[in-house]
Amino acid sequence: MSTLALTELLGQPVVDSAGRTCGRVREVALTPQEDRVLVSVLIVKTRAGDRLLPLQSVSAINGKVMASTASSDWKATNGSEGLFLLERDLLDQQVIDVHGRKVVRVNDVDLNKDSVGSRQVLKVGSVDVGARGAVRRLLKGVVPTGALQFLLNQIPPRVIPWEFVDLIETDPARRVKLKISHERLAKLHPADIADIVEELAPSEREAVFETLDEQVAAGALEEVDPKVQKSILESLDSDRAAEIVEEMQPDAAADLLADLTQEKTESILEEMAPAEREEVSGLLEFKEDSAAGRMTTEYIALPVGATTHDAIEALRKFEGGVETVSTFFLTDSRGTLAGMVPLAKLVLADAKTPLLSLTQEPLISCHADASDSEVAELFDKYNLLTLPVTDDANKLTGVITSDDVINVLRSKL
Amino acid sequence: MVPARISDFNYSDPRSAFILSSRFAPPCLCIVLMKFWKRWKTRILLSLAVVGPGFITANVDNDAGGIWTYSSAGAQFGHLLLWTMIPITLALIVVQEMTARMGAVTGKGLSDLIREEFGFRITFFMMIGILITNFGNVVAEFAGIAGSLELFGLSKYYTVPICAVIVWLIVVKGQYKSVEKVFLAASFFYITYIVAGVLAKPAWGTAMLATVKPPPASAWREQGYVYMVIGLVGTTIAPWMQFYLQSSIVEKGVTPRQYRASQIDVITGCIFTDVVAWFIIVACAATLYTHGYRNVQDAKDAAQALRPLAGDYAYILFSMGLFNASLFAASILPLSTAYTVCEGLGFESGVGQKFGEAPVFYWLYTILIVTGAGVILIPNLPLVKITILSQVVNGVVLPFVLIFMLLLINKKELMGQYVNSRLFNVIAWATTVVMIGLTIAWFLTLRAQG
Repeated sequence: MSTLALTELLGQPVVDSAGRTCGRVREVALTPQEDRVLVSVLIVKTRAGDRLLPLQSVSAINGKVMASTASSDWKATNGSEGLFLLERDLLDQQVIDVHGRKVVRVNDVDLNKDSVGSRQVLKVGSVDVGARGAVRRLLKGVVPTGALQFLLNQIPPRVIPWEFVDLIETDPARRVKLKISHERLAKLHPADIADIVEELAPSEREAVFETLDEQVAAGALEEVDPKVQKSILESLDSDRAAEIVEEMQPDAAADLLADLTQEKTESILEEMAPAEREEVSGLLEFKEDSAAGRMTTEYIALPVGATTHDAIEALRKFEGGVETVSTFFLTDSRGTLAGMVPLAKLVLADAKTPLLSLTQEPLISCHADASDSEVAELFDKYNLLTLPVTDDANKLTGVITSDDVINVLRSKL
Repeated sequence: MVPARISDFNYSDPRSAFILSSRFAPPCLCIVLMKFWKRWKTRILLSLAVVGPGFITANVDNDAGGIWTYSSAGAQFGHLLLWTMIPITLALIVVQEMTARMGAVTGKGLSDLIREEFGFRITFFMMIGILITNFGNVVAEFAGIAGSLELFGLSKYYTVPICAVIVWLIVVKGQYKSVEKVFLAASFFYITYIVAGVLAKPAWGTAMLATVKPPPASAWREQGYVYMVIGLVGTTIAPWMQFYLQSSIVEKGVTPRQYRASQIDVITGCIFTDVVAWFIIVACAATLYTHGYRNVQDAKDAAQALRPLAGDYAYILFSMGLFNASLFAASILPLSTAYTVCEGLGFESGVGQKFGEAPVFYWLYTILIVTGAGVILIPNLPLVKITILSQVVNGVVLPFVLIFMLLLINKKELMGQYVNSRLFNVIAWATTVVMIGLTIAWFLTLRAQG
């Protein structure tokens, strides 16, 4: 097995079975529907126009491409339907390096060359994003081949294995035909996905958010810079946007929707499932920079008489995010806040222990109208992880978590 | 006439208010300014907030290179170059609008687009060209810093290194955005040129006529005329502006739908720039040219243009304006260049990254500042000559950038319905051809002289 750079292969003369040089390599293509790695066809530029040369009919590649068929058998190209063209679609374009978690530009593509019987097999091995590919492209045809090869061997390669490359395609129809998805990207931490997305052009962001699984998309969207968040949601269809917003933390969703135009917000809310819609639109009523605007309505509240066992059961059934479960809240029959129990105390206690005996003193809470700085002050003073928010009647209405406070503080730095 | 005591103060005369406040400054002036600030604060901040990338770019366009070139044009040729302002403005509007449209539609920077559509090798040479051209501009900005502060008797041997360090720190410490507003507010110093132009009592009729009438054929034969025309175009439609504006539009997240607002922003910016340029030329023609100071050699000469406005204090106004413009552009240019080159060639870039994560970006940025400032420290350097040369290089490189822009903006698969209209193509291609023609003519005169 040896490697061959894409830019070395491009432009090579193509010789047919009769020994005549019929043209030059114009494109190297994959058929992703069949195989994501294997080069399926070369597009040859001949005097009669572009021709498709299937790789099965290539017997050797060594400075020249030797075909085992007559040039008259090569079919004319009719568009590039279903083909992923390495020169047009990959070379010089931006791709996501899933392993390094960043956006990179492709300088060259390394192809692995193998012989199977009398046939050549070409597989995409890795993309070159370092100086080696750059120098090759700069000096190819200018410096003698031998000297260039010597020089290139001195440069340590910077390559990304093909399996860690995530492609971006903005055309939805082509995305389906070329089977471009973001399975690998989706496995990253939402915050890493957010960083990557921020580096892309708006149409590319839209493409990523249309393809990602809703839950992953929601997690990533929460972490994206608010300005970019807004432009992403505006670019998506309302029903797709609604699918993603449903999966977001209600407080983050409300903050985001509050920044959109009223029209867009309404059309997204309309598409949402009733339960989530109610929660989010309830939060939308509050001023964004008050305690109520920062709080989430997803938390675990239990009646005053509950035991540790009940709390663990409630935790098992809880569907919200993990931020709020560090504390359990106790409310009386009228919904008034009666106490809070830290998760740590609860875990150490016996199953039958009444929660009321585990509560944390003093009971710190704030009013829904409290300002950002009042909230931050309470978190700082009492070293809180969560802060319950109450209304005029002292009823528990929501919970602010420390990550919300960090968000506020960071935006003021 | 000058009131020495408060009782002498004449309430109806605004001039005496100014004299009074400066005489009893600082407390008096401070109170006046504080009151003014309190009353207008929201309005000023609000208007600065809506000032878009187009207006900022246009303002930076009147940098040291611009001020020197316009001043020299007026001093050396009087009204003979005023006719260039209308075609230049037209071309500037078309070119900047194209840039902004490309940014809004593709969401990508100009060097990204050149790389994606034309491949590595072409991009590489383009970036080398841009690097050299922009380096000349960085030198010009530091020349402006040196020249403006020399008027106060401060030696360039310590002002330039200090300013270089300030510029470097502003960006590396991530403070650029907050400093930008100060620069922007201070760039209203340019209005002094408009006032000076009016106070110099220029021959309005001839100036207006010279603006719309083509110059006599004899003008073209004058020594250095073609050179100055290239310099004027190069300083007004600088190559770096296209890269900078497009990135700013992308960074601001302008979409094709909100694009109308940016269009207005761009056009106002272009017109503002050129109105200021026109007044600089007219002010210099009315003062320097008329009194025979044909050869502007340093800031002291150029400052004379503001004499009608500020008398003996002209140099303060001039030097503040020049200093602000130079420092503003000096903090944008090296950064914009580092971004442009790194994005085109695929290196990590961005002030959000740490030094170790984007070494090429930071090194490029640092080297541009260090060498740009370093050149100025060479003793007896003819600052104005070098500055104008850098603007002529801008003009020579411009057609290459325009060709790439025109090829890109006419690609349907890239721009969709937003490809160039025929009128825009005609104007932009004409600009390209004219600039190539002027460059060839200049080279020919060089050979004839040599």
